[in-house]
Amino acid sequence: MILRIKNSIKIAITIVTSLICMGSSSLEVNNTINILMPSSFYDSTKELIKKYNDSSKFNIRVTKGPLETESVSDLAISSLLLDHSPYDIILMDLTWLPKYAEADWLFPLDNLIDKRKWNNLEKGAKKGNIYKDKIYRWPFVADMGLLYWRTDLINKPPETNDELVLMAEDAVKNKRVKYGYLWQGKQYEGLSCVYYEVLKGFGGEWTSLDGKVLLNSEESVKAAEWLRKLIAKGLTPKSISNFTENETLQAFKNGDSLFMRNWPYAWAELQKESSKVKGKVGISKIVSEKGIESTSTLGSWGFSILNKTKHKQEAFKIIMYLTSFEAQKYLYEKYGYTPTSTDIYLNETMKKKNPTLVKLRESLEQANPRPESPAYTQLSDVLQREISAIITMQKTVKLALETAHIKSKRILEAAGYKE
Amino acid sequence: MTLLLILPATICILLIFIVPLIVYFWASFHASSVITSFNFIGNESANWSRILDDSRFWQDAIQTIRFTTTSVFFEILLALLIAITLNESFKGKGIIRAITLLPWALPTTLLALSWRWIFNTPYGPIELIARILNIGTINILSNPDITWIATVVADVWKTTPFIALILLAGLQSIPKNIYEAFKLEGGNDTTAFFKITFPLLQPYLVISLVFRIAQAFGVFDLIQVMTGGGPSGSTESLGLYAYLNAMRYLDFGYSSTIIIASFILLLCLTSISYYTLVLIQKIFKLYL
Repeated sequence: MILRIKNSIKIAITIVTSLICMGSSSLEVNNTINILMPSSFYDSTKELIKKYNDSSKFNIRVTKGPLETESVSDLAISSLLLDHSPYDIILMDLTWLPKYAEADWLFPLDNLIDKRKWNNLEKGAKKGNIYKDKIYRWPFVADMGLLYWRTDLINKPPETNDELVLMAEDAVKNKRVKYGYLWQGKQYEGLSCVYYEVLKGFGGEWTSLDGKVLLNSEESVKAAEWLRKLIAKGLTPKSISNFTENETLQAFKNGDSLFMRNWPYAWAELQKESSKVKGKVGISKIVSEKGIESTSTLGSWGFSILNKTKHKQEAFKIIMYLTSFEAQKYLYEKYGYTPTSTDIYLNETMKKKNPTLVKLRESLEQANPRPESPAYTQLSDVLQREISAIITMQKTVKLALETAHIKSKRILEAAGYKE
Repeated sequence: MTLLLILPATICILLIFIVPLIVYFWASFHASSVITSFNFIGNESANWSRILDDSRFWQDAIQTIRFTTTSVFFEILLALLIAITLNESFKGKGIIRAITLLPWALPTTLLALSWRWIFNTPYGPIELIARILNIGTINILSNPDITWIATVVADVWKTTPFIALILLAGLQSIPKNIYEAFKLEGGNDTTAFFKITFPLLQPYLVISLVFRIAQAFGVFDLIQVMTGGGPSGSTESLGLYAYLNAMRYLDFGYSSTIIIASFILLLCLTSISYYTLVLIQKIFKLYL
């Protein structure tokens, strides 16, 4: 019976995948390593790949995936469910890893990894690559939530939640800026990231280490109430429920806000000529309650080798090439990709040229991955809906969080997770 | 002998329809996800208690029913008009008939992309017209209250020709001499439509109704390409939700539950529509 179901699922997916694969027509060719990447990474790594292909007898072929993160995963999963994937390496988002590892699609890298190189990774960059004590992913670009602040309006960045509110209130009251604090409030993954940081900053947790949902805690209520307070006080506009990274950046770039929560990529954008706040921006850690350590949501991309690949050694060599010191330096300087290895952060010439490196390192140090569960996407969906209901005043904080708590538990139960 | 002759067809239907349905039903009482390594483990109807309380499922169900009823209603109405027009004899009838069928022959993905551009803000032609008329931006594809109407328009545009074709075949099967006799008796064109055309067309209407309701209820490609289920989940169909559960969340147990639940909803919707049609027919008989 089980076999029959598996087969029928497979047949259904065959049709879809074969259509997709026809486009890429990348059946295994010897001496070729096929990497699946989201299209933005395809563009930024083009030169590095060309250089490699010119000098090596192994060829890298990159399949340009869709731009949207989850669509890339859809593409990979549809081929993986068939046990016949055309890819050798996949550039993976941090949140996919538990799902892929649990499905036994990824090859553990422990035996291939040079211990020294692993130890040379930043503490924050090491996180999110391990599942059930095995390393499945090598970090390519680090990413974490940062607090951007206006150096022309205040002297130093806030450290606690209360300080942030006071500073923002002062700036808005004196009409120096339109808004105090902008973040990502649209119902999508970004909202989960924002809430997770605030929640951690209040000392709360989303799920426990053994996978229990902890959203009905007092801290979760306080965290959600804090976000709501920002809107009620007029420090954050009501339209925040439509803001993604892009809207947030545009408003901050336009000089409309004192603070902004965003990812490291925003820095380069703010330094462009078109930016009204060029040279007037600093970066800092995400704020937290007094006495509680601040946490940034970790969001990084990394390379994983698929289990079915024939050329694991060569694939790993390519990963090492794409994440080498030179490659990271090139990608940081040209595209602002946050480096993952310590030697970049300690390099004196790099530090002198890029003063923000120190701050980036500080935040990466505090970064924490979201719940590492194979059911993460579902859990996040539920949380996004409820937090969105809270900030749009559709539900009371307590009711929304209680709903999120119960629904998350139900998801885990229905999916076969037992407490 | 009769039994032997219908055997191949029966086996076919069993294999491609009944067996999967039974399998899905069985799977809906089991957990099969990445957490269980894709093995099926009994979970004491946890899927069903989850679905009853899953507001996203019910929101999608309402959206799917809304999409289905609205688009099928307009499709049948327009198709009837087109079929009647095409049934008349005029110059270039063949070419016009072929052109009318064109939208139906196009791949859905392609037309969904085209419609996405037509409704695009601020570059699409509709926004352009709105600007010329000084209405301001409409934001068709980013306003949760109206986006579903855009998907209905695209669906109506694509599938009306299909129903028109069925109804045209139906119209041509009605013998012309019935109309002639009716006119001799002093009837006019309008009453001829209600007394002859509509009743004799009924089997064809029922076929297209059942066909289209089942098809529209399972809508996937159009929504996936045109809106991706957004904005804020307002156009997500049950088919899309089942797909997300299987392919993105890797939760095959719950995905099967959604499929069975939508099947039950579809049965209800089809029977309601069927009896509504019969009722309309009766009203016509009584009052016209």
